Amino acid sequence: MKLDNMFKKTKVSSGEKGYISRGRTGPAVPEGLLRKCNKCGSAIIAEDVRRDFYICPKCGGYFRVHAYRRIEMLADEGTFEEWDKEFQGGNPLAYKGYEEKLVGLKEKTGLTEAVVTGKMRINGSEAAVGVCDGRFLMASRGEAVGEKITRTVERAAKEGLPVILFACSGGARMQEGIISLMQMAKTAAALKRHSEAGLLYISVLTDPTTGGVTASFAMLGDIILAEPGALIGFAGPRVIEQTIRQKLPKGFQRSEFLLEHGFIDGIITRPEMKETLSRILKLHEKNTVCSAWEKGSIGNVSSTADLLSGGIDAWERVQISRRADRPVGSDYIEALFTDFTECCGDRLFADDRAVVGGIARFHGIPVTVIAQAKGRDTKENIMRNFGMPSPEGYRKALRLMRQAEKFGRPVICFVDTPGAFCGLEAEERGQGEAIAKNLYEMSELRVPILSMIIGEGGSGGALALAVSDEVWMLENSIYSILSPEGFASILWKDSKKAKEAARVMKLTAGHLQEMGIVEKVFSEPQSYTRETMKPVMISLEREIGNFLGKYGTMTQDELIEHRYMRFRKM
Amino acid sequence: MIKKILVANRGEIAVRIIRACREMGIETVAVYSEADKEALHAKLADEAVCIGPAASAESYLSMDRIISATIVSGADAIHPGFGFLSENSKFAALCEQCSITFIGPSAKVIERLGNKQEARNTMEAAGVPVIPGSREPAYTVHAGEKTASEIGYPVIIKAALGGGGKGMRTVYSPEDFEAGFHTAQKEAQTAFGDNTMYIEHFVQCPRHIEFQILADNFGNVIHLGERDCSIQRNHQKMIEESPSPALSEKLRKKMGEAAVKAAKAANYTNAGTIEFLLEKDENFYFMEMNTRIQVEHPVTEWVTGVDLIKAQIRIASGERLSYKQKDIQINGHSIECRINAENPEKAFRPSPGTVKDMHLPGGKGIRIDSAIYSGCTIPPYYDSMIAKLSVWAKNRGEAIRKMRSALGEVIIEGIDTNVDYQYSILNHPDYVAGDVDVEFIERIGVLGQRCDQ
Repeated sequence: MKLDNMFKKTKVSSGEKGYISRGRTGPAVPEGLLRKCNKCGSAIIAEDVRRDFYICPKCGGYFRVHAYRRIEMLADEGTFEEWDKEFQGGNPLAYKGYEEKLVGLKEKTGLTEAVVTGKMRINGSEAAVGVCDGRFLMASRGEAVGEKITRTVERAAKEGLPVILFACSGGARMQEGIISLMQMAKTAAALKRHSEAGLLYISVLTDPTTGGVTASFAMLGDIILAEPGALIGFAGPRVIEQTIRQKLPKGFQRSEFLLEHGFIDGIITRPEMKETLSRILKLHEKNTVCSAWEKGSIGNVSSTADLLSGGIDAWERVQISRRADRPVGSDYIEALFTDFTECCGDRLFADDRAVVGGIARFHGIPVTVIAQAKGRDTKENIMRNFGMPSPEGYRKALRLMRQAEKFGRPVICFVDTPGAFCGLEAEERGQGEAIAKNLYEMSELRVPILSMIIGEGGSGGALALAVSDEVWMLENSIYSILSPEGFASILWKDSKKAKEAARVMKLTAGHLQEMGIVEKVFSEPQSYTRETMKPVMISLEREIGNFLGKYGTMTQDELIEHRYMRFRKM
Repeated sequence: MIKKILVANRGEIAVRIIRACREMGIETVAVYSEADKEALHAKLADEAVCIGPAASAESYLSMDRIISATIVSGADAIHPGFGFLSENSKFAALCEQCSITFIGPSAKVIERLGNKQEARNTMEAAGVPVIPGSREPAYTVHAGEKTASEIGYPVIIKAALGGGGKGMRTVYSPEDFEAGFHTAQKEAQTAFGDNTMYIEHFVQCPRHIEFQILADNFGNVIHLGERDCSIQRNHQKMIEESPSPALSEKLRKKMGEAAVKAAKAANYTNAGTIEFLLEKDENFYFMEMNTRIQVEHPVTEWVTGVDLIKAQIRIASGERLSYKQKDIQINGHSIECRINAENPEKAFRPSPGTVKDMHLPGGKGIRIDSAIYSGCTIPPYYDSMIAKLSVWAKNRGEAIRKMRSALGEVIIEGIDTNVDYQYSILNHPDYVAGDVDVEFIERIGVLGQRCDQ
């Protein structure tokens, strides 16, 4: 049965259809009640957007945020103190109409320029801050922007404050010509001095960060964060498309693309931003590191004799070290540290998921943690390339170690790899060079380094994270020049003889401790899995404490000399 | 007076509201989702606006779209029906901001009554009985026992962080208190790592009795008698009737007065319902106040002769109540059965589909509220209730016989319905005797025995 136009319409009693009596205002949406999302086009209730960090409740898209609102979202109430509020740039090209344009914008936006600077507290931690505001000539960077940022960074260096800059910019302020270009060098130079003073700079990239801002202060953070989906790039997408005459792929130059390509440490949603910044700031606050650590008695650490006569065959240990249910790097990070904040990317080519690194606390002490990461299941293993790092992985590790050095944090590495990834791309990008560079740089890193082999210690790929003050092993982990299979096939032309190879290679923890390759060996429960890892963690925890107590109190020269001699005598 | 109403709902209630509007000479605007393109409410209204895809969140729950549809169609009021946005204080506030008359109480009142703790406190302060319970937590048997004896047995011991029945014990006498408290507390400690306990009076096999309220903007509040909604499955009502066979004239007066007091305490306006739990010993406790028209409003309309939807519209238009309490006389007896597209034999699984053919009963004292028609499709996205069958007769016995007869005439082909299940309840001796409580369905469905035996 079709009911279209079947029913009679209502007879309106008053005779005047839709009549609304005078004096009473008819239904209307008051100004500002509804907004339109420029991403999905939906009408949304402005109040919801304001309360919800300026995120579209329908599509999750991010609205651009005014500078003062951004500060309001981050600063502890009443702690923001604005610097150089009245500073304005000139008109170096005497460009016609520029000054009038600035006057108009000032009236319209209530801003004096495209960046607001000052200092504030975030959950109690003080920081200098600069926030770009896109309403002002698309936050293009002219003299005023460059100068205000430079002054902020200089003042932060003088006052010993960390700097947080929220970048957002269309690029250079064309009206100011070459003076605008020079702001890139000026801001970069100021940040260099700030960094030389051992201070932290966090750069947060918001939509859009393009042109010369990307090519200067935005990309120079010790830590670079980005909001989800932000456009970040040097050349704008339209310019690129016109130049190469090709359509750009979806997601090109977005935050996620940059993360994958190793240029940012992480993507942080707006609701998480304050907590994340506060955690990072606190991890970089000066504290008394590694002084007095109670030296506990050594529990669970096995003697060589035990391990050699333990009755477990070398080949069996090889197989145990490769078991799928064995705890992986991430399990150790979760069990031993708090506040782990992952830092991604080598800042060169990619973020290698076979290496996980970041900053964390060990009993309150900030440390840099780097782990070769196998997956917990097949899916994760594919994502992590079965724990075989690419050159990017080693370069990320080195980047994080250098940062640890800058901030005086000990480095703790977990080694668990069948070997560095063998592949075309790995060779193209210099796998050998990447490993060599790590050995070279780690030898003189001016902070303590501890490496633990928790599963497979596969050759150079393992050594690149093990040029350390001490190297420890778990009972059933292995560390060798090559896999037993490889060894057998090279020496005996038969990879099936891996079992015999394992016996002659002296790759077990017991043998290696006897040979002085490793300092400590930790016994494992009968079946070592995530469920049974607790006792091992307890002894690791105690021993790491002892390690930090011992090496944390050495002078840098002593530390480097000790590390040099450790390998010199081998 | 309101000239044009947008009905922000679907199904039988939308049809019910449209009909009331037509009778009052008010133009109507229906809103519908893509799944409801052919729905009766969309066809029956003077205008219809599509407001989005099938998913409720993007259509019947989308505040901005409904507001836009209202403005575009030139309606000056919104009737929210029940469910969807009907008790959403934010939506009511939005209407207020846009100078649209929301047919219901103010946003503030909806918000206050929506907060269980606040509603309880308001009622307690106004002298409306609430379930007695400890305000302070108890950590020891001694403290708990003291509270329990003050409240009176049976009591229920509840973990502060409780859920899923864990850390909960019912104790019927003081001798069992210590053991019950220990077990509950131990369970709470293991399950939630917290041993904070609360003691509350245990309401044993209560009846669900609710009072219909009408309140205008001038402080006049009346009640229109009660509805007994004890026949429910998983807190979903199935059969409602008015008056309740369990209420004496004296108790009706007492509860009615409490209901009016409750509505006054909440500064309530428009139509609303006060829900009580009624124990066998005639003790009753405030449960919550529903700030909307109820599904089961027809039974009250039958016995009082008041058209509740029209009353809602008149109150929203700023008119004074035209009845005083003394004008309200409960006349005869009415029963309503909810007809759902579901299969009682398959765990009440919803049964969407196309209605191939149908026959519905009629005649004196029989009313159908429904939006189904021959050939219509019941979409799977929304509530499964497809019709309300209500009857009126001089007394309860006759009403039951009339309902049986009417149910016997219902034919709906193409989908499964609960008509036969309803028929069996109408023939159950306990129901016929009026001897039921909120656990009736659970008992007949599962155990076949009564809780007090």
